[in-house]
Amino acid sequence: MSLRSKSAAVAAIVLLAAADPGRVARAQAIGPGFELERSGRYADAASVYFTTVRSDPTNIPALLGLERTLFVLNRMPELLPLVQNARARQPDSHTLRSLELRVYAALNEPDSLEAIARRWAASVPQSEAPYREWGLALADRRMWDEARRAFLTGRRTLGSDGTLAIELAELEQRVGNWEASATEWGRAVTRSPDALANAASQLADALALMHDRIGRALMAPGASPRARRLGAEVLLAWGQPTEAWAALEPTLVAADSDAPGALRRFADLAGALTTPEGHRVRGLALARWADMMAGSPGAGRARAAAVRELLDGGDKVAARRVLEANSDSNGVAQAALIQLLIADSQLDLAAERLAAPSTAITADDRAALRLALARAQIARGDLNRAAAALADDSSVAAIAQRGWIELYRGNLKNAMEAFRVAGPYATDRAAATDRTAMMAMLQRIQDETSPELGAALLTLARGDSVQGITALRRAAAKLPEQGGRLEVLLLAGQVAAQKGGDQEPTAIALFDEIVRIAGEGAAPPAAELDWARLLVRNGRPAEAIPHLEHLILTDPNSAFVPEARRVLERAKGAIPKS
Amino acid sequence: MKRRDFVRSVGRTVGLSVGAGILGFRPTVRPSVSPSLLIPMDDSQTDHLKAYGLTYKAIQNGLKAEWLLNYRGGSFLIPDLDALRRDAALNGIRTEPVDSAMTAVRGEIEANNMDAVPLEKAPKVAVYAPPNAAPWDDAVTMALQYAGIPFTKIWDAEVMNGSLKDFDWLHLHHEDFTGQYSKFFLIYSGMSWLAEMVQRNSDMARRLGFQNVPELKKAVARSIRGYVENGGFLFAMCTATETIDLALAAHSVDIAATFADGTPLDPDADAKLDWSQAFAFTGAHIETNPLVASFSDIDGHQVNGGARRQPLGAYKLFNFSAKIDPVPTMLVQNHRQVIPDFYGLTTSFTRNRLKPGVTILAEEEGAPWVKYTHGDLGKGTWTFFGGHDPEDPQHQIGDPPTDLSLHPHSPGYRLILNNVLFPAAKKRELKT
Repeated sequence: MSLRSKSAAVAAIVLLAAADPGRVARAQAIGPGFELERSGRYADAASVYFTTVRSDPTNIPALLGLERTLFVLNRMPELLPLVQNARARQPDSHTLRSLELRVYAALNEPDSLEAIARRWAASVPQSEAPYREWGLALADRRMWDEARRAFLTGRRTLGSDGTLAIELAELEQRVGNWEASATEWGRAVTRSPDALANAASQLADALALMHDRIGRALMAPGASPRARRLGAEVLLAWGQPTEAWAALEPTLVAADSDAPGALRRFADLAGALTTPEGHRVRGLALARWADMMAGSPGAGRARAAAVRELLDGGDKVAARRVLEANSDSNGVAQAALIQLLIADSQLDLAAERLAAPSTAITADDRAALRLALARAQIARGDLNRAAAALADDSSVAAIAQRGWIELYRGNLKNAMEAFRVAGPYATDRAAATDRTAMMAMLQRIQDETSPELGAALLTLARGDSVQGITALRRAAAKLPEQGGRLEVLLLAGQVAAQKGGDQEPTAIALFDEIVRIAGEGAAPPAAELDWARLLVRNGRPAEAIPHLEHLILTDPNSAFVPEARRVLERAKGAIPKS
Repeated sequence: MKRRDFVRSVGRTVGLSVGAGILGFRPTVRPSVSPSLLIPMDDSQTDHLKAYGLTYKAIQNGLKAEWLLNYRGGSFLIPDLDALRRDAALNGIRTEPVDSAMTAVRGEIEANNMDAVPLEKAPKVAVYAPPNAAPWDDAVTMALQYAGIPFTKIWDAEVMNGSLKDFDWLHLHHEDFTGQYSKFFLIYSGMSWLAEMVQRNSDMARRLGFQNVPELKKAVARSIRGYVENGGFLFAMCTATETIDLALAAHSVDIAATFADGTPLDPDADAKLDWSQAFAFTGAHIETNPLVASFSDIDGHQVNGGARRQPLGAYKLFNFSAKIDPVPTMLVQNHRQVIPDFYGLTTSFTRNRLKPGVTILAEEEGAPWVKYTHGDLGKGTWTFFGGHDPEDPQHQIGDPPTDLSLHPHSPGYRLILNNVLFPAAKKRELKT
C-alpha cells in the first residue's frame, strides 16, 4: 500500500469513527467472541455476543453468533426474545426474518414457525424468500415432509411451476427420492438454464439402480428441451454416451439460443470419456457445433477435432462425411483425411495424397503420417512399400521403424543396429519398451539373420497371434537351447498368455518347457513369473504360490524376484487390492 | 501369556541380569548353544515388517527366539532351521547365520544399554473391527496381514459375550466409543457407508439390549477395561484412544449429541466426567459442537477442528534403559529415532491431559502434545498411539489402502509390530 493509499485508508477510518463511533466500538467488542468460539469456548463466546446485543439489539453478527453457540449449548430458548425484538425493529430485514424462522425450527415449534413464515409472506407477496427459508429451516431439522409442504405452499401461492424447484430437488435428493428430485431439477433448468451444471452434477451421484427412473423423469413426453439436455448430460456422466447423444440430438432441431452453448458443453463433457463410444459422441457433437457455428473462428478447429474424435471412436463413415462436406485447403483437415484413408486401408490413395506437393500439411503432421503409412504397410505385409513410405526420413522415429522392417526381413544384426541408433527416447514409452525387450531377446541370438524368426514376428505384427505362436516355436527350434531358443519360446508363451482362452494351455506348456530346461539367461525366471501371473489371473492363486516360491528360492539374484515377491503377497492376500 | 505370568517369570531372571551387569558374573540370558539366525533390524534389513512375522512364526511353532533390545535396531535371534531360512528367503528378509560370533554379540549386549529378552509364546491376537469394510484402512490389520501374523476379528457381540478372555492382545483402531459415528453423521449425511454403519450399530445395540449406540459402546469400553485389568494387552490407535477414555469417564453422563441417542448431551458433562475410570487421560473438555468432528481437547492436532488444526511435525522416540525398563524399550525398538508424524481423527495427546504416571514413549519436541504412550492397569497394560496410518499422513476417507509392500522399512509400522511381539516376551519386573 502506498503512503498515499495508507493516508486515505486512515482518513476513511477516522471519518467512519467520527460518523458512528459507537458502531466501530461495537465491532471491536464482538471480536473476542469469534476467537472464543473458534477455540471451542462457546459459553464465553455467547456471553460476549449477549453483551453486544444488549447494546445493539439488531447486531446481526452477534445474533448469528448466538444462534451458533446457543445451539451447541442447548440454550436456544434464550435467543428467541432477542430475535423477536430485533425483527420488530427491522421488519424488512431478510436476515432477521430468516433467523427467526430458524430459531422456531430449533425450538421444535412448527406451528409458530408456519405462522411467522405466513406473516412474512403476506408482507412480501411476490417473494419466494419466506417459503424458501421456512422450508429450509425445517429441512435443517430433518423434518422432510413439513419442509416439502412449505415449499409446495410457496409454489401454489406464487403460481409458477418452477418456483422453489431447486430447493425441492435438493430436498428430495436428501431423502433419497431421486426420481422426484430429477423432476424438480427438470423444472429448475426449464426456468433457469444457470441451474444446469449444478443439476447435472447432483444427479450424476445417483445410485445405478435409480438411473432408469431418473432418465424417464427427465425425458418424459412433454419435457422441455432444457430438461432433456439435462437428461443427456446426466447420461454422459453415467458413462452412456450413445444414449446421451440420442437424448440430446432431438433437442437441437429447434434452433433456440441455448442450443450452441448446450452442444459445446456436451462436447466438453464427452471429452472426459476415454471409450471409443465417448470419442465418437464427442466427434458428433463437435461436428454439429461446427455446422451450427459455420463461419465462426472456432468452427474449422472444431471440425478437425471432430474428425480425430470420430476416428478414435471408430466411426470412419461419419469422419469422412465431415471431411467431404468441408473440403478445403486447411492443412489440419487434409492431414485428417489422409489419416482416415490410412485407417480405411486405402493406402495407395493415402500415399498419393501424402506425396502431392502441399504446403498446407505441417512437417510434423507429414512425418507422423509417413510413420502411420509405414505401419499400415507392415500390417499388410508389404515391407518394401513400408520402407518406401519412410523415404529419406532421418528422424529417430523413422530409424526405429526401419529397425522393425529389418527385423521382419530377418536381418537381426541390422535391426539391432537401427534400434541402438534410435535410442531409448524415440516415439512413446510403450514403443521404446517394446524395442528394448526385442533387443534383449536378439542379443541372446548369435546368428546375424533368421528369416524364420523375422517371418514369425511379422505374422505377430500383422495381428495373427495363433499363427505367430506356431511360427515362433518353429523359429525357436532352429536356435541353440542357450542361444536364444528359450527367449523366443518365452515370447511365444507371453503372446499365448495374453491371448488367453484356448491359447492358455499352449502358454502353460511353453512356460513349463522353459522352466524345465532352465539354464542361463532371464527367460526361466521370467517364464515362471508369467506362469504364476496367468494362474493368479485365472483365480488359481494357490497353484501360483509354488511357482513363485520356486523362482525366489532358485533364482534369488534374478531381477524378477522383487516382482515375484509382490505377486506372491497378492496371491496370499497379504496386501490389499487398491 | 497374561501379564501376571509375564511379570512373575521375568522377576526370576532380572536379579541375575542386573547383578551380572555389576559383578560381571553372567549374561542375562543363557547363550544359545545351537546355531542361530540373526535378523538384523538396522538399515541392512531388507524387510523390517516381515521380520516380525518370521519371528512370530518361530515362536508360534514352539521355538525359542530372543529380542536383542537396542542391538542393531532391535534385532531378533531365531534358531537356524531350514524352514525358517526358506521363509526368510521367500519374504526377502535378511538373516545372518551366527554361531561363534554370538559370544561377541552377547558381550556387546552386556557392556551396553542393550538386553536380550526371550520370546516364548506367540500371543493370540484380536482386532476389534466391524464386520463390514469401512472406507478407511486399519494400519494394524494391514501390518498383521503383511507380516503374516494371524489374528481374529471381533466386535461388540464377542466383547459382550466375554470372548476377550480367549486373547492375549487386543487392538482397537478407528472406533468411536462415544457412539457418535466419529461425528461424521452430519458431515457425511447421505453416504451409503455411513448409513450402513449407523444401521449395523443400531441393530447391534438392539440385539444386545441397549437403548442406543452410545450406551452399547460405553458397555463395550467397560468390558475392554476389565480385560486389561485382568491381564490383557491393549493397543489402540487413532480415535479409539481418545474415545475409549471418554466413554469410560462418561459412564453416568450423556456426552453424545442428539443425532446419536435422541437426547442432547448434558450441558454439565465436563464436570460430571469420572476420569478415575479412564486409562490415560484426565480433565479433558468435551467438544460439544455436533458439526465438528472432534471429541475433546485430548487431541493436540484437531485435524477437523478448523482454525484449531495444527500442522504435522515429527515425533522422537525416547531412549529407555534396556536392562531396567525392558517394556518401554521393546515398544520403541526402531531403526529410526525421529519419525514423520501422521494425522488421524485423534493424532496426538495433549500433555496436560495425561494422567500422572503415564509413560511417554514418543513426543514432538517443543510441542504441547505427545504421540505414543503406555501404562499399566491392574494386571494388564495399554499402549496408545495417535494417528491413523503411519505411511499416509493425510489419510482421507475413501483413499485406497496403503500397500505395505511399498513401505517394507516403515518405522511407524514397526512401532505397531513392536506392540504385537511385546506380549510374547518373557518379561522381567521393573527395577525402578
